Amino acid sequence: MAAQAPASPAQSAPVFSMRGVTKVYVMGEVEVYALRGVDLELREGEFTVLLGPSGSGKSTLLNILGGLDRPTDGRVTYRDGDLSEAGERALTRYRRRHVGFVFQFYNLIPSLTARENVALVTEIAGDPITPEEALALVGLKYRLDHFPSQMSGGEQQRVAIARAIAKRPDVLLCDEPTGALDISTGIAVLGALEKVNSELGTTTAVITHNAAISAMADRVISLADGLITSDVRNATKQPAATIEW
Amino acid sequence: MKALDRKLLRDLWNVRSQVLAIALVVSSGIALLVMAQGVFGSLLTTRDAYYTRYAFADVFAGAKRVPNWVEERIAAIPGVKQVQTRVVVSVSLDVPGVTDPVNGRLISLPDRGRPALNDVALRRGRFPEPDRAEEALVGERFAEAHGLDLGDRLFAVINGRRQPLEIVGVGLSPEFVYGIGPGELVPDPKHFGFLWMTRRHLATAFEMEGGFNDVALTLVDRSPSLERAVIVELDAILDPYGGLGAIPRADQTSNWYLQNELSQLENMGLLVPMIFLAVATFLLNVVLRRTVAVQREQIAALKALGYSNLRLGVHYVQWAIVVVAFGTLLGIGAGLLLAEAMLGLYMEYFRFPFLIYDVSASSILIAVGVSLAAATVGALGAVRSVVSLPPAEAMRPAAPETFRVSLFERLGVRRWLSQPARMVLRNLSRRPVRAGLSIVGIAFAGAIMVVGWAMIDSMDELLEVQFNIVQRQDLSVSFFEPVERRAVHELAALSGVLQVEPTNGVAARLRNGHLQKQTAIQALAPDARLRRVVDLDYRAIRLDRPGLVLSTLLAEQLRVEPGDTLVVEIMEDSRPVREVVLTDTVDDLLGVTAYMEQESLRRLVRRDDTITGAMLKIDTLAEERLYGLLKAMPAVAGATLRSAALQSIRTYMLDNMAMMMNVNLLFAVIIAFGVIYNTARISLSETSRELASLRVIGFTRGEISSILLGELGILTLASIPLGLLLGFAMITGVMSVFESELFRLPVVVEPSTFLVSAATVLGSMAISAWTVRRKLHDLDLVAVLKTRE
Repeated sequence: MAAQAPASPAQSAPVFSMRGVTKVYVMGEVEVYALRGVDLELREGEFTVLLGPSGSGKSTLLNILGGLDRPTDGRVTYRDGDLSEAGERALTRYRRRHVGFVFQFYNLIPSLTARENVALVTEIAGDPITPEEALALVGLKYRLDHFPSQMSGGEQQRVAIARAIAKRPDVLLCDEPTGALDISTGIAVLGALEKVNSELGTTTAVITHNAAISAMADRVISLADGLITSDVRNATKQPAATIEW
Repeated sequence: MKALDRKLLRDLWNVRSQVLAIALVVSSGIALLVMAQGVFGSLLTTRDAYYTRYAFADVFAGAKRVPNWVEERIAAIPGVKQVQTRVVVSVSLDVPGVTDPVNGRLISLPDRGRPALNDVALRRGRFPEPDRAEEALVGERFAEAHGLDLGDRLFAVINGRRQPLEIVGVGLSPEFVYGIGPGELVPDPKHFGFLWMTRRHLATAFEMEGGFNDVALTLVDRSPSLERAVIVELDAILDPYGGLGAIPRADQTSNWYLQNELSQLENMGLLVPMIFLAVATFLLNVVLRRTVAVQREQIAALKALGYSNLRLGVHYVQWAIVVVAFGTLLGIGAGLLLAEAMLGLYMEYFRFPFLIYDVSASSILIAVGVSLAAATVGALGAVRSVVSLPPAEAMRPAAPETFRVSLFERLGVRRWLSQPARMVLRNLSRRPVRAGLSIVGIAFAGAIMVVGWAMIDSMDELLEVQFNIVQRQDLSVSFFEPVERRAVHELAALSGVLQVEPTNGVAARLRNGHLQKQTAIQALAPDARLRRVVDLDYRAIRLDRPGLVLSTLLAEQLRVEPGDTLVVEIMEDSRPVREVVLTDTVDDLLGVTAYMEQESLRRLVRRDDTITGAMLKIDTLAEERLYGLLKAMPAVAGATLRSAALQSIRTYMLDNMAMMMNVNLLFAVIIAFGVIYNTARISLSETSRELASLRVIGFTRGEISSILLGELGILTLASIPLGLLLGFAMITGVMSVFESELFRLPVVVEPSTFLVSAATVLGSMAISAWTVRRKLHDLDLVAVLKTRE
């Protein structure tokens, strides 16, 4: 495997670019600063882990990158498009064409089987891989016709990954993908993400408060209190299977 | 306020639009109940008070001419309390400025003092002075219809002479609460009126001095046995004087119609509200189940804090009770308003000098009790499953919902369905009972619409049949006395008369064992073209066999079938008593009648070849002149226009129906909206996470709306055929409740009725969908992904 992985993510073109991004939530009478002027670039094919404790702003960052939220101030571009200025329709179109999401609680549709959950996306995507291929990629080709209630948490999360990648997204955004899983199933899920990143070259951002996961990343960005506190490039990536926590 | 009570109020506030929708359904049921009970109670109390205050009689009898001294014999009948003899005559009236034929009944007042029985409630003016021959009291509706005022004059045409009458007072009588003329079904005060004159002058004008032709009496008690005994005695006394057969109060025309209306109100007033309350109970149950399921972890926490199952159970039952109590209050208010409006409508047709509002507290209490019980039942089912869980178990999230491939997909259509379509089908098939109940609930809304519109269809059909197939004359003329048949030729010779057919009627009593019925036998010529008897398929039945033909309802009342023999007592002429075979029954729609071929009737009565009236087809251009000519004919007692009868029936039905239709429409929309909106809100709360996930992965608002609304659409579409069927079944049932001697409505449902009903339901769905769609736009994509349900 690992045939056509990009030579070096560090030199590839930036996919995302954030300049001075601020996000303020007004909660009743207080203003909560989730992000306080973040500058950041994510490059083509890069596997990035965003680390930070809860309340550090990492989820807000991911939501803005994914087009689920807009910054209060600052500019976010995706390739040539300006996400900070995009309207509701444009953001929906952006998510539909370019972004794959994976969530802590899987968010599968309980009334659809694994295959059908993936087909949800392939039916509306422009150039998808088949649901069967996507599920095979995450190691679930024998569970095609199982409903979510018939699968374990790890399996459900891998269906969610298959669903996210089936449209060949330009970017895969994962919010605490192993947060609800025990270690062995968590490792299997990380393995699936690793495989997608290396085999399809999908730019991947994973947010987590689990520092162990950063070992498998190209780049580790730490956040605290709405600011980037460190941005480190790993010299060597550790395979997911060897991670422990 | 306890913390738990605060929670109750806030929970309710959070689902306020659903609460409102349910409360509205409850209030519809309660409003209908209160309205029906209020109208029923008020009419009943008013009627009883009116009858008592104005001494409505217990037994009534008419005769040809009875000498005054017979009154003492009547008073001596055991059980008779009070007797009032009168002179009552039918006349043609000449109201200045009115060209249509107008008929009236003149009733005598005692020369001195007020009538002892059937007193007149004076509305304006005064009673006539005994020494003024021209003074008369006139009925209120008649005065209103013609704009007559005190001092105005009109003329009674008596034996071709115009007798002037001066109006000195306007009054009402308990005898004519429902004031119809002979042969009428609906009061038509433009063409028929009641007038009162002093006896001396009326008797003089009609050569009735020293005698009377009408008697009313009261009994010491109203037991049926005494009533029967007195009637037998009274008939025996009046027989030699051309007695027409005494009738009890129950058969007195006005009272009979009033009683009929009251029974209908009583029947209808229970059925429909129960349907609404059933739907409301179902909605409450569904909404509460959902609320309780969502609050599963809260309930567990409360239990962990030490709240008992009972306290928590009460908490959720209170939830339901607050909703129902709110709806009940709303319903009582609306019901009282509706009752008042409805009574106003009734006052148009049933005239009382006063109105006593009487909404019995007990009926409202029953309504409140029934709805609270329904609410409690709805709530208990929902609460029981949760409070029975141990707290630790309840605090864990409920196991993921188990889905299966729906039956519909397994039929082989699966591969044609998009994923969203599969979601819709599986959501529905996972809760078949709820989907079924939703369908039934929406179907009720459609059914209520069908019932409302079908009533109008059926009435149209009735009028069409009655006035285009059965009665085709323009004008019917009645004579004071039977006249020789050649009168037909005299009528035919009048200019403007196109066709004449004689009619012949004779008062008779039909008997089968102890069952008997006072009626008139109508004679028809076998080849009659203007007045016909038609069968169920509206084909004319040829009367060419000797024997009786009865309205089916009349035959049922007498428990006779074709081939059976009846005893017929003719109440006129030589009063023969004969056995006659029932040859046929006929499902006529309006009134109840006995028919006979004219020659057979003549032989039965042993009458000369006379007629009692005629049917005329006339040239409308010559009608005014013709009415004048008819009034001048001494033998003519009155003339009735078919168009006027048709008009008054149509107005009566539409007046009644229009209000009921508006109420029905409103309530059907409330039910449809209540069910659809709640279904939508519940599926929204159940699937909002899924829908938000879909939005996140790039589904547009339109696409996720179509998933939610697709579910609603399927439920609504499935409900429509069921609603139409249910409506058809309900209208059939309603019609049988409506079946009376007044009219029997054919069950007719026009295609347009189905279309309009279906459209109303779809419209309600559109409104609900639109309301819920706005909620979809507000889905918080981020929040919904962060939380675990």
